[in-house]
Amino acid sequence: MTIRTRLTLWYAGILVASLVVIGFGTYQTIDEQLRHDHRREPTEHAIDETSEMILLVGLPAVLLGLLGGWWLTRRALAPVKNLTDAATKIHERNLRDPLPRTRNGDELDQLTKVFNDSLARLDDSFKRIHEFTLHASHELKTPLTVMCGEAEIASRDDSLPPAERERAASQLDELRRLARIVDGLTLLAKADAGQVALKLEPLRFDELVHEAFADAQILAEPHGIQVELAACEEITVRGDRHRLRQLLLNLADNAVKYNQPKGGVIMSLLKSGSLAQFTITNTGAGIPPEILPRVFDRFFRGDPAHSQTVDGCGLGLSIAQWIVSAHNGTIKIESATLKPTTVTVRLPLDEPTRQNA
Amino acid sequence: MRILVVEDEKKTASFVRKALQAEGFAVDVCHNGDDALAAARATPFDGIVLDIMLPGRDGLSVLRQLRERKNVTPVLLLSARGEVNERVEGLNAGADDYLPKPFELVELVARVRALTRRGGETKSTALRVADLTLDTLTRQAQRGGTKIELTAREYRLLEFLMRSAGRLCGRMMILEKVWDYDFDPGTNLVDVYVRRLREKIDADFEPKLLQTVRGAGYVLKEQP
Repeated sequence: MTIRTRLTLWYAGILVASLVVIGFGTYQTIDEQLRHDHRREPTEHAIDETSEMILLVGLPAVLLGLLGGWWLTRRALAPVKNLTDAATKIHERNLRDPLPRTRNGDELDQLTKVFNDSLARLDDSFKRIHEFTLHASHELKTPLTVMCGEAEIASRDDSLPPAERERAASQLDELRRLARIVDGLTLLAKADAGQVALKLEPLRFDELVHEAFADAQILAEPHGIQVELAACEEITVRGDRHRLRQLLLNLADNAVKYNQPKGGVIMSLLKSGSLAQFTITNTGAGIPPEILPRVFDRFFRGDPAHSQTVDGCGLGLSIAQWIVSAHNGTIKIESATLKPTTVTVRLPLDEPTRQNA
Repeated sequence: MRILVVEDEKKTASFVRKALQAEGFAVDVCHNGDDALAAARATPFDGIVLDIMLPGRDGLSVLRQLRERKNVTPVLLLSARGEVNERVEGLNAGADDYLPKPFELVELVARVRALTRRGGETKSTALRVADLTLDTLTRQAQRGGTKIELTAREYRLLEFLMRSAGRLCGRMMILEKVWDYDFDPGTNLVDVYVRRLREKIDADFEPKLLQTVRGAGYVLKEQP
């Protein structure tokens, strides 16, 4: 129940109660008057007169009062409604935009001011976190470049004993992994700070899917995994070619990596209403329900054993999620222990396609 | 061949210089943008390796200055920012190539080599390495007279390797030229494709032409 309805109901209750009091008072007065005049059956007469007064004067007055009250509460609560509307639009990205203030110094204006101040503080701390991640990844890259370079030289230095060269080579592998993590982190930090501009253009999504399918087949072959393209409708979306290819390759790579030997991968691209729907299913070990909601979290690894055997930077799905949401799409993952895992990506179709469809 | 390396980080500058010198390049090093502009004015270089983040005048501004002065020396940009748009920005400013940090030295050397040879690159339609031939018009590959069937991607990979025959091709470079990826997908796609290609062009033949340089990339050449 809204405050407005509640206030109006209370108000109506009070008005009715006052009406009863007035009615009782009127009855008393009229009754006394009649007794004073020694009329017969004064009580019945008084009731009639009182009811008449209540009906003719009291009820319209109450109705008028109610309407007035309804209007008053609406006026009084209008700023709250505006505030609510504005506050619904708040999210991480627009914390800087303050809520509109009336500047009349009333209680609600004070509340808005306090609210705006805390939003600004929140925005500051968000910014500091983003900037920190951004700077951290820059700062990490310089020493990484030096270390990679030195390890690379050592791994090919013929004057070093083979064991030492081998050690340098394995160090280089780890450094490259670290470099990929820093890369992924930089990309996400930039995305968070809204600093990655996508180059959007109408493009044939089905062509990208065909390409990812071909790559997935190649990646799957050494593991004896069968890749199938169940459907691939001709679909145009508005997107950034490189980022969408990155998304598809990432999902295809995951479907192969987290599969079992001789398993299967099924990809499909279909039109679903005004959306392009891409699904990729793999017959891996499945993801237990308790960790499923967290697979898009950065650096989240469901199974610690996996991080040992499966090479990856732990940011793949976070990046995939960012790419999809930057295209105004949705991504979801369905799985259960020992059940196939399906990732579904939905992207809005490009306008002309929608008109033709 | 004389290369100018512009990099403020001393250690990086030092091993880049060493790596390029080991490949037979003469190398000059500058640690800031103004010195780089002065050096480029004084000496005609065959290529410039330019870091974007420099104290004072940054790499992009150096590059724009160079191009304004009608200096067309090929430039390879290095950047620790690794931004998607930075690459485009750099190429628009007149760079010939772009390499994000941390890079691999072989990759850098391979790119510098490609850069300095850009003008003389073979545009021939009949490519040949030993008894392996590729006709880029008919997309027909043959080894020792035997036809080899290639998928579209394998063909592009082979064409790229044959056009760079004798030169080391880094993984990022292959991803960029054959797949047109501007990101490191973190997969072993290149290795798997090279393995398949090797089965087709090398398995039944001698000598083996497609060689792996551990931790660096691949090279297609006649002599091991």
